[in-house]
Amino acid sequence: MKRLSFVLSVLVALSMLLASCAPAATEAPAVATEAPAVATEAPMATEAPAAELKPGDPLPRTETLYFNGQQWGPVAGWNPYSSNNNNALVIAQQDNARVTVFETPYIYNMIDGKVYPLLADGPYTWNDTQTEITFKINEAAHWSDGTPVTADDVAYTWDSNVKYETSAGVGAIDYIESITAVDAQTVLVKAKLDAEGKTVNPLVVSAYLSSNYVIQKAWTQTLEARSADATAFKADPAEDFVASGPYTNFFVDETKVVLIRDDEYWGQDASMWGKLPAPKYLAHTIFADNNAGFAALKAGEVDVSQQFNANIQDLWIKDNLPVSTYLADAPYGLGASLPTAFYNLTSNGLDQVAVRKAIAMAVDYDTIIANAMTNQSATFAQVPRSLMNPTDGEQSLYDHDAVKDLQFAGKDIEGANALLDEAGIVDSDGDGIREYNGKNLAYVATCPNGWSDWQAAIEVVAAAGKEIGIDITTNYPEWSVYQTVVTKSDAPLPAGYDIFMMWSDGAGPTQPWGRIRHLISSEFNGQASNWNGNWGQYSNPDADALIQAIPGMTDEAELKATYTELVNIYLTDVPSFTLMYRPQSFHAVNESVWTGFPRGDDGTNPPVPPLDLTDGYSIAGLYNLTLVK
Amino acid sequence: MKNMLQQIFRSSKFLIGFTIFMTMLLTVIIYPLIVKDEPLAIIGQGTFFEPGIYVNVFDSINSTHYTLSLNDAAARRIASKLGDQERLDMKDWLLAFGIPENEIDIHDNTKLMELWVNNYDSKLALGMTSAKRNYYARLDKSLKGILGTEGVIIAIKNTETGLLEETNSIVQTDYVNIGQVSSIRILPLGTDNFGRDILTELVSATRTSLQIGFVAGIIATLIGLTLGLFAGYIGGLVDDVIMFITNLFTVIPGFVLLILISFSIGQEQRGAITVAVVIGFTSWVWTARAVRSQVVSLRNRDHVNLSKLSGHSIVHIILADILPYIASYVIMALILQISSGILAEAGLSILGLGPKTTEVPTLGLMMNWAMIYSAHVTGKWWAYIPVLVTIAMVSFSMNLMNTGLDQVFNPALRD
Repeated sequence: MKRLSFVLSVLVALSMLLASCAPAATEAPAVATEAPAVATEAPMATEAPAAELKPGDPLPRTETLYFNGQQWGPVAGWNPYSSNNNNALVIAQQDNARVTVFETPYIYNMIDGKVYPLLADGPYTWNDTQTEITFKINEAAHWSDGTPVTADDVAYTWDSNVKYETSAGVGAIDYIESITAVDAQTVLVKAKLDAEGKTVNPLVVSAYLSSNYVIQKAWTQTLEARSADATAFKADPAEDFVASGPYTNFFVDETKVVLIRDDEYWGQDASMWGKLPAPKYLAHTIFADNNAGFAALKAGEVDVSQQFNANIQDLWIKDNLPVSTYLADAPYGLGASLPTAFYNLTSNGLDQVAVRKAIAMAVDYDTIIANAMTNQSATFAQVPRSLMNPTDGEQSLYDHDAVKDLQFAGKDIEGANALLDEAGIVDSDGDGIREYNGKNLAYVATCPNGWSDWQAAIEVVAAAGKEIGIDITTNYPEWSVYQTVVTKSDAPLPAGYDIFMMWSDGAGPTQPWGRIRHLISSEFNGQASNWNGNWGQYSNPDADALIQAIPGMTDEAELKATYTELVNIYLTDVPSFTLMYRPQSFHAVNESVWTGFPRGDDGTNPPVPPLDLTDGYSIAGLYNLTLVK
Repeated sequence: MKNMLQQIFRSSKFLIGFTIFMTMLLTVIIYPLIVKDEPLAIIGQGTFFEPGIYVNVFDSINSTHYTLSLNDAAARRIASKLGDQERLDMKDWLLAFGIPENEIDIHDNTKLMELWVNNYDSKLALGMTSAKRNYYARLDKSLKGILGTEGVIIAIKNTETGLLEETNSIVQTDYVNIGQVSSIRILPLGTDNFGRDILTELVSATRTSLQIGFVAGIIATLIGLTLGLFAGYIGGLVDDVIMFITNLFTVIPGFVLLILISFSIGQEQRGAITVAVVIGFTSWVWTARAVRSQVVSLRNRDHVNLSKLSGHSIVHIILADILPYIASYVIMALILQISSGILAEAGLSILGLGPKTTEVPTLGLMMNWAMIYSAHVTGKWWAYIPVLVTIAMVSFSMNLMNTGLDQVFNPALRD
């Protein structure tokens, strides 16, 4: 007993020691993190003498545009060559590239489907044989250090992307042969050619110009000089970056990210925007979760909200707050992507088209849209299912009448039951569950834990199973586990992932081709880390051939016929099924301080898309903002 | 025994707690016999329908119409759409549009509406924010035909000609008797984010939570009681070993252990009973310590020694000579364990570590989903307040019973 009490007292003493250490331990990093923030800001203060505000000071509300829903967790770096920056306000090289700090030659406008010059001067041109693109860099464009942006920078960025195998380089290396500077202003992009001398994929080549940044050659060389190898090059936090965009780093810590306007920004030249963007600061408070962000939007502490706010319409209908969305009524935004439920095609029964189609037919999509998405999606009655998103441009790309009979609207319990009965998949042992191969059809439907709208959608999918004699239960693993399982396409999916949810591509210059490829092309099967798509590992040579043929097609009728055929295959085989339409970005604004945000009928020409004023052509919205009187 | 029961029920605290608890228990048992709906059935298309009586519009059009001449009906109808605030807002818009202030009389319905209908154009921005413009568009829509006195026509589409054929018409003085409408659904607590009837779900959840509480409480009490009895009565090495284990568990916070175990089981295996068992296995510690100390004070009593001399086995002595003396205490411990088991489940579920969601509702899961869908931010009180009240009532009633029992059994506390 004495010995025991001795052990106990040692334990108690230890825990007291630990407790007394605790405050010291937590204080230390706080000091450490503050210090570099000040250190990196010091040169900035000399660069911008007009900024009397010191980094970390409270920001003037009427000069600051606040965001939510983009940045989660602290910023890791500013390196545009790296894919681990976690710097959501600054770096996103994608179809609608984020051009607040770094800029792309062109910017994509998801509303009219065109690209507009940013760093480039005028439209790009293909040569007659469609093997080369030529474009010019705007002579006015210059870097934040004052030196001009040149064609050489574009070429060097490409070479570095290839040399260091960045995601931009890896994604395009199979399609782009080289990017070179003809003269200081002119850039020549040579496409990779296939055996017949035709461009492998003209879509990807031209899309490169609106989705990847131009990075300064001199700064890249500085980065190279201090990096031992490719890994170090990509791991460098690059706080000394040089960029060409309208904003730059002002202040970063664990609680917020603040960008400050570069008042020397080249875009105020008459050949570009003709003025500076309205807000002097772009700030993003790092919220703990959606609810915290939602409460801040409600309180007017957030101007632009890029997060799923359940029942957003209550803010204006019930609370009478000055909050609005791109469209005044449901679905409130523009649907762009197709969150999709994939089937594990090796699960017992899911290798049967009848079972796959029956489940997809039985799901009550109206309830998913009304309940899970709180009506922030078009319904399948408004936009019948296909592989296209609800935008007019994509909808016109397939023959609606040709696939009309295949477009199931959901909640068709009778039809689903009949389909299963017809296929001979019946309940023969009387337990209420149908069998296939003598085994009950029992599936686990899953999506990452905490992804609330997806979880609610998966619950509705599971509920449909009960109606048609299929036992579907739900399970929500953590994202860290989930992502490693579903992206491993070189082996069959494990148990517990029979029906699982993932995203699809949104709107972009390669769409809908890119989305279709990512949904059903078998080229990704066998990849150990597959972040492209087709996670259910579907394989159909006919579909593959069509997908491969599309980028080279120029005849519109042929293109439409091919897309229609793909939709036909997709709705016949049902390797996966769309659960809802989802906007490219959620976009809700609170007009307590700023007004002039894009809205559906604002009459801007070209139209400014509702992508939070940071992505692609929506950056134009920053120039239209005014303060509320 | 009878005397003891009388004494217990004379304690007002116990009586109140017992009444609350039995009411809940009876509700949980009787409600499903009356309302036979599946508790997890998704009935509402849309989230968080407000509590109230939902009358089928289609059925009420087709049921008998009665004419009631009520003078204030029109005024009420207008006031519901055109309140004081709306009048002022309309004036603001008209002023911004350029109508002179002296021409706007916000108290004259006819004139105001005439002015509005003639001038309002949703396309005009007038320097207003997007939200304000949307507001006026909604207001304009809700005011359509508000001063009209004619009725509406119900028509069906002829499938052959595609023309509308009048089948019925409704005038403003038409009423229906709710009792005669064939389909009415009362949702006393509205619906949740899935469109489920909250009351039905709540009753079912309370039952599950009580089950979890009972299972967890009984397991915890059994483990605690057994360990406490043996440690206390046998003493020596057995006591040291048991108390060593108990102390280990005391040092590690139970809830942290619970979180770790629940997480490692994985959601797939987490049924309600599994969660209950996990809670039971992590919360026996204080019962064991308390029982042991009670037993230590009992083991040298004369009747125990007598029993020992008579050659009774250890088990017999513990069961026949010691247990009855601490039975009242064990009952109280059990009640507390049940109550804390229910709270532990709620705590776990709010963290997303509770039972799987599609199988059974539990109080904690209801809270979890209400939070995920921001019910507390958007003011949908019916999605979480009733759940909170239920949780509070369960633990309140059990603690009251416990205090009542304590007063009866513990002479030091008697009035």
